[in-house]
Amino acid sequence: MKLTRRLLLATPLAAAPLAMPFLSRGALAATELSVHYPMPSFFKDVMDKLAVAFQKENPGITVRFPAPSPTYEDGLQQVIRQAATGGLPDISFQGLNRLRFLAERDIVVDVAPLLAKDGDPAKAGWTPGILALAQVGAKQTGLTFSASNPICYYNANLVRRAGGDPDKFPTDWDGVLALAARIAALGDGISSMHYRWPGDDWMFSALLYGYGGHMLSADETKVDFGQPGLHALQLLDRMVKVGKMPPLTSEAAFQAFYAGKLGIIMGTTAYIGQFQKSIGPQVELRTTRMPIITPGGKLPTGGNAVVMLTKDPARQQAAWAFMRFAAGPVGQTIMVRGTGYVPSNTLTLHDDRYLGAFYRENPLFRPAEEQIPLMQPWYAFPGSNGVRITQTIVDNLARIVEQRATPEQVLADMTAQVQKLLPRA
Amino acid sequence: MSEAARLPAALEPRLQSRLPWRLHPEAMAGLLLAGPAVLALTLLLLLPTAALLVLSLTDMELGGPPLRWIGLANYAELLGDPGFRIALRNTLVYVAAVLPLSVALGLGLALLIEGGTRGRAFFRAVFFLPVVSLLVSMATAWEYLLHPTIGPLNRALAAFGIAPVNWLGSSDWVLTSLCMIGVWENLGYVVVLFLAGLTAIPPELRAAAETDGARRGWDRFWLVTWPMLGPTTLFVVTITAIRCLRVFDTVATLTQGGPNKASEVLLHEMYLEGFTYFRIGYSAAITVVFLVVVLGLVLLQTRVLERRVHYQ
Repeated sequence: MKLTRRLLLATPLAAAPLAMPFLSRGALAATELSVHYPMPSFFKDVMDKLAVAFQKENPGITVRFPAPSPTYEDGLQQVIRQAATGGLPDISFQGLNRLRFLAERDIVVDVAPLLAKDGDPAKAGWTPGILALAQVGAKQTGLTFSASNPICYYNANLVRRAGGDPDKFPTDWDGVLALAARIAALGDGISSMHYRWPGDDWMFSALLYGYGGHMLSADETKVDFGQPGLHALQLLDRMVKVGKMPPLTSEAAFQAFYAGKLGIIMGTTAYIGQFQKSIGPQVELRTTRMPIITPGGKLPTGGNAVVMLTKDPARQQAAWAFMRFAAGPVGQTIMVRGTGYVPSNTLTLHDDRYLGAFYRENPLFRPAEEQIPLMQPWYAFPGSNGVRITQTIVDNLARIVEQRATPEQVLADMTAQVQKLLPRA
Repeated sequence: MSEAARLPAALEPRLQSRLPWRLHPEAMAGLLLAGPAVLALTLLLLLPTAALLVLSLTDMELGGPPLRWIGLANYAELLGDPGFRIALRNTLVYVAAVLPLSVALGLGLALLIEGGTRGRAFFRAVFFLPVVSLLVSMATAWEYLLHPTIGPLNRALAAFGIAPVNWLGSSDWVLTSLCMIGVWENLGYVVVLFLAGLTAIPPELRAAAETDGARRGWDRFWLVTWPMLGPTTLFVVTITAIRCLRVFDTVATLTQGGPNKASEVLLHEMYLEGFTYFRIGYSAAITVVFLVVVLGLVLLQTRVLERRVHYQ
């Protein structure tokens, strides 16, 4: 299997230089695109399949993958380094919340003109909402490739033991926290729940958006957590006080979940594959939608977008063809089947040629798909302190989870600390 | 010399003044022999250090606007940065805990192994294993051992009626846990160094001490072994102190400095600033502080201790 895939990939590569002299005289010029992507453990198989399918449809273009980066952070660093020293790939897959950083430094190409030339994007499956995920100001920095939203995982066995009905998992926070408390009361080293707050501000923004809040004022000069921010922190506080959530690191929480010792985990839908592989026999894995906070509440979008880096107009044509393909129905079908992400193309959803049947047969993947209408962009802070602000928020959340400070205190400190890290006008 | 002797006598003084090295082939040979090492040191150590010092005086940001000269502003910011202060304090606490523990335990184990009659090679290998194992993969094992609910350590403690401890997730315990792992990591290295030092002590000295009335092993240790181990101990303390200051991989893999910076250390802070926040200039300033601490420690140890440890 591996060998054939490699061969398929390598054959056009090897043939390209041989074909060059003939092609250059003709109208057709063979283009070799270099495509960089992160997290090979998630994406290697997907990318290999994508390249094969793309090259079959576009015989003039071959796709080459330089070494992939282990994480989004590494991928971003590599592109930033290469932007300074040369050797940028033509295309890269970058984390959605880092697009702003790349756009503010003019490293990515604005594809809005190319998109406009192709006619109505909605006909190609890209609704305004999907396109917005990869927009920074007026710039279309790329096309969303894999999108994720937070979902709720639970071990049906523990829910049953705690007297709950796994088929009727509570849909509001009061119900979830009451169930969590009953799971914690089982004893025997069993923990109730883990809300994946460490790592970054993504899950905090899920609470904030749930209350209809936002990070900054509309002109992005002032921190504006406001009442929704306070409510979000109070909900986190209740997870600890009412839901008996222990202050675990995410790794420790996952290990406990795999061992059947933790009831509920809330985190990105992208964990599905990893959880399915890692759970022990005593775990009956189920997924469901996030509990509803307020009726109009939204959820943040994680994942990545495919962006164009080449500034050469001839190569841009080939790069655009690849981007359209990756974000198109065929590319999205390959991506969803190989990961746990949701598609960012509306053509795929109910069509049995693409993902229609897949979602009927794989109920674990369904909650994320059902939440697509709730998705809004993962907010990226302006200026160069984005990651630092993220870390500041996480550090402050830790104070609540460890019960060292009240939500009111944390809100005041967090507001002051984040404000200091914003660019001064 | 022979070449110089063949030159006409009148030419010799002139040549001598213009090309003095010509008359010192030994000096030439010395320069040639030292050349590669000097070149390598300059290219790999001195120039990068100089570059680091220069960078620490700029506001360089990877991919950011062209760098500006900002003098000591980075260092001024360090002084007022609570994150950096916590990282520095945690690093020093880590060194203060791990260094004496690993040296004392390592010396004890080395004496036991050296004094034992059987299985010396076995024990040497057992205690050296942590040094050769890849720490990043061992971190996964530690994560399981120290797991608050399913970890074997807490289960063992429960057998004695001790309440479970949240080793890596609680800001009260996380640094202690990292210190324990640090001792485990450094112990084998210390043991092997001390074993080497012990074999270098002539056995006649101990025999002579025994004849002179040092009947108990304890007396012989204080009279002969400990003083004779002086140079080894100095070396072990210096090396271990630097290894402790360098603590990074356990933090990066197990805690990422959390919760709420309770396990933030100098090198992890440097890594975050430079490679996650892209603030190369600021990161360089942290590295300079790290260098100064290391150099200061080494100087202190060699100056203060070197005089006392040689028994020739």
